[in-house]
Amino acid sequence: MGQSKIHYWFVGPAIFLMLLLLIAPVFVAAGLSMTNYSLGNSGFDWIGLENYEKLFSRRSYAKMFTASLTYVLLVVPISVALGLGAALLISSLKIGGELYKAVFFLPVMATLLAMAIVWEFALNPIVGVVNDILRSGCDKDVIYAFFTGSWYGNNALESWYGSSCEKKFPIWLGDKKYALGTIAFIGIWQAFGFNMVLYLAGLTSVPRELYQAAHMDGADSAWERFKLVTWPMLGPTHVFVITISSIRSFQVFDTVEALTQGGPSKSTYVMVYAMFEKGVKQNLLGIGSAITIVFLIFVLILTLIQVYFVNRRVHY
Amino acid sequence: MYSQTNWLGEFSKHSLLLAGAIVVLLPFYLMLSYSFKSPSEIEANKGGFFGTQEIMTDNRCIKAGNPEEECLMRPIVYNYTAAFKEAPLVRYMLNGIFVTVSIFVIQVIIALPCAYALSKLRFWGRNVVFGMVIFCLLIPVHAIALPLYIMLAKVGLTNTYAALIIPWSISVFGIFLMRQFFMTVPDDLIDAARMDGMGEFSIVWQVMLPTAIPALLAFGIFSVVAHWNDYYWPRIVVTGNKDLMTPPLGLRMFKSDMDGNEYGPMMAATTVIVLPLVIIFLLAQRRFIEGITMTGMK
Repeated sequence: MGQSKIHYWFVGPAIFLMLLLLIAPVFVAAGLSMTNYSLGNSGFDWIGLENYEKLFSRRSYAKMFTASLTYVLLVVPISVALGLGAALLISSLKIGGELYKAVFFLPVMATLLAMAIVWEFALNPIVGVVNDILRSGCDKDVIYAFFTGSWYGNNALESWYGSSCEKKFPIWLGDKKYALGTIAFIGIWQAFGFNMVLYLAGLTSVPRELYQAAHMDGADSAWERFKLVTWPMLGPTHVFVITISSIRSFQVFDTVEALTQGGPSKSTYVMVYAMFEKGVKQNLLGIGSAITIVFLIFVLILTLIQVYFVNRRVHY
Repeated sequence: MYSQTNWLGEFSKHSLLLAGAIVVLLPFYLMLSYSFKSPSEIEANKGGFFGTQEIMTDNRCIKAGNPEEECLMRPIVYNYTAAFKEAPLVRYMLNGIFVTVSIFVIQVIIALPCAYALSKLRFWGRNVVFGMVIFCLLIPVHAIALPLYIMLAKVGLTNTYAALIIPWSISVFGIFLMRQFFMTVPDDLIDAARMDGMGEFSIVWQVMLPTAIPALLAFGIFSVVAHWNDYYWPRIVVTGNKDLMTPPLGLRMFKSDMDGNEYGPMMAATTVIVLPLVIIFLLAQRRFIEGITMTGMK
């Protein structure tokens, strides 16, 4: 075995393509990030770290980092919590679990760009259903009281819902106060089903005997069993789900490009969109490459955290 | 045991999940509903799910100089014919199929022999190659899109099918997955094939390939779903040439070309693009969920 040179033919193409399509681009980006290169120009100048200086000093890039981080910090905790919640509920159901699982997984499968366009219609301030539904609650006393908080003595007009009823409901994607949150909402809508499935897989690996043992020790309520058994036993799944969702939400692009193009006033100017705008649309490949490298470092850190914890097989 | 509390618990769980399901399904419901209704029904938010389907006149048809009686139609017919007339939807779909299938086939042709060599052949440098595969798993393809785009532009390949396919021809994840799978295949199977006088090439394609079908299926689902839905990469390398556009990119063009409130046709086009995958998913749910979460390991 292994006398012949046949393995060259087997691993050769893969090695060649890995070098060409995955490793070389990293070096190309690193190199170009220190130039002022543009496609179509015959040459370029080496400008050292100037692009990186811009990246960390200019206000528009500060907005970029803020947008990306805020997006990740909104989407990851909420989509992980919803995924875990859905998984716990579904796994404890007697009937209908499979159906909910399929429904919640649907957004993961569906073309995000297409669904983003549907959400845009739904969120349209004039003809959109979302504001229609919100408005329709304004003249129904029970709903109004519930959402304004006036049922426990809040001043209805000071609440978000009450004042929106008086004036008007937000232009979700066109208002810089709401745009990033709205994009994050679509991100959560899309991602939590994926987290749910990962948690469902994690839950099946929790040994049944542990629940019995906990029961013997007097952990009777569902909450106590969750706290004592489920939560700690899901340790590796938590790490995995959190890092995966962080990496995925760092890469948000489709919704931003289709719905807000980074605006209004750069409130949704996330990193991958910035990379696209600078590098491809404006042909500023130097600064685009610098964003690429910073982005790569972020993702690499997240991946290394994941590898580190998964290899140690943490159980909290 | 606690039958009463259980009933209550079961009921509250179902109500929570049902509330979630309504929010999750809302855009799908709207997409279908809008694709059935007339513009006035959409604007006024009337007509329920299916609309009244009252005969309407197609203004565009009249502008084109046709007599009025030829321009009367049901909204559902209007929406779907307009979608197919105004955008080359069929072309987009065929492009999508061509690109996703080509990517998957090339990925398998490259990955399968490599995975076989990494798991079943002993040669100098095997661990180095495997280390390289693991290292490449760390590189997110989203991040290196820009340098890839520059490289393709330099060799004049932007706006070609090649640009849509080549960057995805290597799937290190596929290699890794197949290698893990082949590790579980007994060596006896391969030795027996060698005894029968089979060459290494035939072993890969006639012995290993059939045993790898379950893993390949899962990988195939992942690959096809990812590239059918991918918008980022086509958006970068295809500029303006409608003949090359994949479904998501075509839909985006449709949206920016759209004049006024053409919600109906727009949603009809969206439905046509979203529905195929959704239907296949509903038919083979379990496999899909497995296939896509497996990539979570990536």
